[in-house]
Amino acid sequence: MTAAPRPPERAVRLLTWALPAELRDAILGDLEESFADLTQSTPNVSHARRWYWREALIAAAIFAPRRRRASAERGDSLMSALATDLRYAARLLVRRPGFTTLAAVTLAIGIGATTAIFSAIQPILLEPLPYAHAERIVHLWEGTSFKDRDNVTFLTINDVRTQSHSFDWIATYKTWSATLSGTGEPEQIPGDRVTHDYFKILGVRPMLGRDFREEEDVENGPAVAIISNALWHRRFAADSSVVGRVVQINGYQYTIIGVLPDGYENVVDPTAQVFGLMQYALTDPWSCRTCHHLRAVALLKQGVSVREATADVNAISARLVRDYPKEYAKAGMLVIPLHEQVTSGVRPVLLAVMGAVALVLLIACANVMNLLLARGAQRRGEFAMRAALGASRTRVIRQLLTESVTLSLVGGALGVGVAIFGVQALIALSPAMLPRLGAIHVSASTFLFAFGLTTAVGFAFGLVPALHASRSDLHLAIKEGTRRTGGSSHRVRGMLVVSEVALALMLLVGTGLLLRSVHGLLAVQPGFDTAHLLTMQVSTIGPRYNGDSTTRNYFDRVLLAVRNTPGVEAAALTTQLPLSGDFDKYGVHIEAHPRANPEEDPSAHRYAVSPGYFKTMRIPLLRGRLLDEHDNATSPSVVLVNETFAKRAWPGEDPIGQRIRVGSATQGPWRTVVGIVGSVRQVSLDAEEPDAFYVTEAQWLFVDPAMSVVVRASGDAAGLASAVERAVWSVDKDQPITRVATMDALIQRSEADRRFALILFEAFAVVALVLAAAGIYGVLAGVVTERVREIGVRAALGASRRDIVELILRQGMGLTAIGLAAGLGLAFGSVRVISGMLYGVTGSDPVTYVGVTLVLAGVAAAACAVPAWRASRVDPAKTLRVE
Amino acid sequence: MPPRLGELEQLVLLALLRLNDRAYGVAVQREIAARAKRSLSFATIYTTLNRLEGKGLVSSRLGEATAERGGRRKTYYSLSSAGREAVKSSLRALRTMTAGLGAAWEAP
Repeated sequence: MTAAPRPPERAVRLLTWALPAELRDAILGDLEESFADLTQSTPNVSHARRWYWREALIAAAIFAPRRRRASAERGDSLMSALATDLRYAARLLVRRPGFTTLAAVTLAIGIGATTAIFSAIQPILLEPLPYAHAERIVHLWEGTSFKDRDNVTFLTINDVRTQSHSFDWIATYKTWSATLSGTGEPEQIPGDRVTHDYFKILGVRPMLGRDFREEEDVENGPAVAIISNALWHRRFAADSSVVGRVVQINGYQYTIIGVLPDGYENVVDPTAQVFGLMQYALTDPWSCRTCHHLRAVALLKQGVSVREATADVNAISARLVRDYPKEYAKAGMLVIPLHEQVTSGVRPVLLAVMGAVALVLLIACANVMNLLLARGAQRRGEFAMRAALGASRTRVIRQLLTESVTLSLVGGALGVGVAIFGVQALIALSPAMLPRLGAIHVSASTFLFAFGLTTAVGFAFGLVPALHASRSDLHLAIKEGTRRTGGSSHRVRGMLVVSEVALALMLLVGTGLLLRSVHGLLAVQPGFDTAHLLTMQVSTIGPRYNGDSTTRNYFDRVLLAVRNTPGVEAAALTTQLPLSGDFDKYGVHIEAHPRANPEEDPSAHRYAVSPGYFKTMRIPLLRGRLLDEHDNATSPSVVLVNETFAKRAWPGEDPIGQRIRVGSATQGPWRTVVGIVGSVRQVSLDAEEPDAFYVTEAQWLFVDPAMSVVVRASGDAAGLASAVERAVWSVDKDQPITRVATMDALIQRSEADRRFALILFEAFAVVALVLAAAGIYGVLAGVVTERVREIGVRAALGASRRDIVELILRQGMGLTAIGLAAGLGLAFGSVRVISGMLYGVTGSDPVTYVGVTLVLAGVAAAACAVPAWRASRVDPAKTLRVE
Repeated sequence: MPPRLGELEQLVLLALLRLNDRAYGVAVQREIAARAKRSLSFATIYTTLNRLEGKGLVSSRLGEATAERGGRRKTYYSLSSAGREAVKSSLRALRTMTAGLGAAWEAP
């Protein structure tokens, strides 16, 4: 037996809603009874359903309107008063689209921008790093201050490991360019060589396979690798049988032993996707106490503070300096918490941006407050009428608060949209040095932040006009009509305009200073001609290039092929490329000025170059001669030094003919200085030219496995890239080419963080200018409306149009002037927030201050002009007739 | 003077009269459908009953809940004495108006 058919569910629900409670049971019951009869008498169920629906619709049409009326008559309870307020507020907002749009958009920008910035800053500066014991993870450096920190050496860390009692684990690591071949196209993948305890410190275990083992981390140990989850997905199609698979890395067979879990974020080296073991022995030459090329990361023992650990390692360092006086310059090691290490570079930029966005939010709030205050003034008559008709003071305030909260909720909703867009834009704009980019998203807490902010702002700016509007003798207001307002409202609004101008000026000063810094930096001469310069890095990998002669031969042939490419004017090779992030320094020992401890000798950037390097880069020769093909492995060792180094090493002496030894103080050839070349900015445009020396590749201590190709193009450098790449691959198609970029692009990139701050400051400054102008305009427009009769009287008594324009302008520009004065003071006081990002200008740069003051004054004048013009058009006859 | 009745009101009141103490929605609807050949929706019937109750012409009481009604209780309606008076005076008016019109109009 099948179940009896039931009446249509939705029709029943409609009836339940529409019917009054006293008839609900009777009618629903009758309908159900009839429905059952119908379905029993005829097999056609759909006919019964149609009938039911018809009944339901008729009932709904008859009873639903009565239902609304009944609930409306239920009286002035709190909820229904709120509903009335809300409905009234919504109606008011819709009826004044101009005001509503202006206020809501202002709020949306303020709240959205704040939320976006907060979303970006939260994971970087505020949230703990995503590790189990994040607060116990530290970096170790050699050196005495963070600014002068140096990489560690294997032997030093080994001594710390055995002698200290502050750490559970200490790992060392160095970057590793892993060229993966065997499956698909050869591809260079950024990676790290790490000691076996690296992942234990970072608190992560492979999701598939296993971690490195201590017994594997020895010289000639097994070639094993752990890969990132992203690489596993991209390159191995997330195949779970990848563990145990043998792959070619740099031409050698490696066994993949593990895959890191999804969502694991390596903040120590965010780019690394493949990890191999260091496998150093204490006796290896690169393990030496002066071989500063390793990074160290460690896990503090439970309960050990950073301060205690610092004291511990410094005691060890002091003993080492005593025991090996010729291998350490001075004692000192640093213990830097991981979080501090990761954020130190971006903290100033982010804090400055946070300050800027806070100013925007303040201006936005002031502006909306201003708008509401102006409207409160216009509606004085309305409120007086309400009060006369019996509305209590709290009722009127509640009504106004509802309006402002409704407005701020609308603004907040729009603001969330702005925030989502803003976060996307931030990620797109962000400089490469911004850590934890993957963790930036509009988070739930950010939504809450936006929401809380909106409501708080709503209450804050709603209250002032509410108090204003409800104060004072209301019958007086009715008598006066709606045109005039009391002086106190004007004072508050004047103050708001003053603060808007002041805040906008602070932002403008910051923007101006940053703009001048970036312009100044891009005008810096880096010491070579950056135009039409294409660069790329070419590496040799695999067993084929084990011998020095094969590698050298490869680079010779690459250079020849590149030079023969059409469009190439000149080309050369260098081990170190300026402004690319390359950093390669060696100790330099000067024969004429030996020191007791050679570790205290200066160090200089080392460039092993092909002889055509200076002509290609257009680095000027100042004295002596350049390097040439005759400076080869069999000829006497010669060296070029840059001007900076020449002056520092041989003050008041002739550097030509002097001799230096690089690297070891006791081994290697003495090199004779044969020429002095112009200095080049290596690290960044804002860092002074460092000391440098140049040798030919043939006369360097070893053959570098990777070189940068620099190409001077006769035309567009970027357009030449693929032709040059083809030329390189024509020599050996299996060798990777990386970092293809024009020199101009490298320079842009090296200024990315400053540029990032500048773009945000510019955007915020434009918003601030517009908002401030809108504020001034709003206040003056209100003034003109309210004083229209006075203006009419003045005009009737003989004031010229010019007089009236002056009257209004004086009021507007008076407020602007006070704001400017306050803003200049505030800007001067707070400029140190961005002082670290300034270049070539001081925080009190007069050009900037005068310039932005003029800009703001000009915008303010333009904002005053429209109301002033309107005032001058007031027809005295018309206004007086109304009186 | 008893209140005047509309046609729907007359139909419903007469149905109540005929059904005696068994008058509830379904019964009223059927009675009118069977005799007057008028198919009324329940909403219409109840609106009318409501209005009559408001005028004091009918009274209602809650009845039993049955399974075939989905466990919902019936509401029974019956005429008050004022209701009876109203029906009487309404019919009297009709009769007076038809008197003398001839056999075709006299007896329904």
